[in-house]
Amino acid sequence: MELVGEEKKIQALFSELRLADEQAAPSFIGVWNRAQLRTRTRVSPLNFSLAATAFAVFVAVVALALWSGSRPQTPPINQTVAITPVTSPFTPVTPPVTPTTTSEPTPKVITVVEQRQAARKLRAARFAARQRAELLAARRAEIRDATAISSWQSPTATLLSSQNDALLNSLPQLNESVKELKSFLPNK
Amino acid sequence: MDIAELKAELEQYHAACFGWALSCCARDRAEAEEVLQTVYLKILEGKARFRGEASLKTWLFAVIRKTAATEYRRNLLRKLRVAVSSEQVSKREPAGGEVDAAFDRSEEQVRFRLALQHLPARQRETLHLVFYEDLSLREAADVMGVSIGSARQHYERGKKRLREILERTEVDYGISWRGKENPGAV
Repeated sequence: MELVGEEKKIQALFSELRLADEQAAPSFIGVWNRAQLRTRTRVSPLNFSLAATAFAVFVAVVALALWSGSRPQTPPINQTVAITPVTSPFTPVTPPVTPTTTSEPTPKVITVVEQRQAARKLRAARFAARQRAELLAARRAEIRDATAISSWQSPTATLLSSQNDALLNSLPQLNESVKELKSFLPNK
Repeated sequence: MDIAELKAELEQYHAACFGWALSCCARDRAEAEEVLQTVYLKILEGKARFRGEASLKTWLFAVIRKTAATEYRRNLLRKLRVAVSSEQVSKREPAGGEVDAAFDRSEEQVRFRLALQHLPARQRETLHLVFYEDLSLREAADVMGVSIGSARQHYERGKKRLREILERTEVDYGISWRGKENPGAV
């Protein structure tokens, strides 16, 4: 059979090729060891991303700590503010008073909370006044519109009026005489 | 199967695996070695795991084939990037051009290797698996991930094509040889 012969020939050629390849093949141990080395030295992308994230978080925490340390301290909420009455330049200068047993005028002390409450009340009052004013203005506008509508006259109303309006508007009564009825008839 | 057992088995098939890797890498020795190393790396990392669905040899050959294809694509992209800059896209040259002098045992062998390079990949793979690795057609089909009918077709066509190429090159060689010996004859 030709096919068998052909297959045998191909087989022989491949066998020769295999022999040559086997001689040129690298040692298994060498390839295996290199692969193992690559396994050890290789850093997976997941590990790298985890490390990068951890580093970024660490940097952020350190930066936050530094920023909060360098920030100026804010006063506590209930801290009192001493307001001394401002002296006008035109007020007569009082002669210096020698210290006596009478008590000195103490500066007016207002807490921050009180200040805030007062400001809030003032804002509420302004808001209520503004609302009231708007409401009043709206009512006035409504009244003006209503009066305008009630006194309105059509510009063509004069065309509808005539001298015979009385005749046209009046109706003959049932108990009227014929003579009276004749008055409704046109004169010939 | 633990790593020690697998290592012993792999050592047994190492030469055959290298031959198959050579075939998948167009007989580029360095590339074949790189592919084999990558395959071992995949096995060590557990990316390629033998589940006993086929024989170890078949599974191993399939992994080598897939890895070689991946490496080929990667190399091609790398070459393309280089080629774009130098405006010359180089096609994958068959390693037949760099045939070592050590392999030049016979003219027939050289012609055979060149003929193999001219075969379509599927046909070459089928012939290699059947004649070189002594696999059955079914096993070859499993390695290539095709049906047995398809593998049989590749096998038949491959044989026919190989014969044609060998005959043609034989004739060409004869003409060129005669031309060298007796210039007036041709």
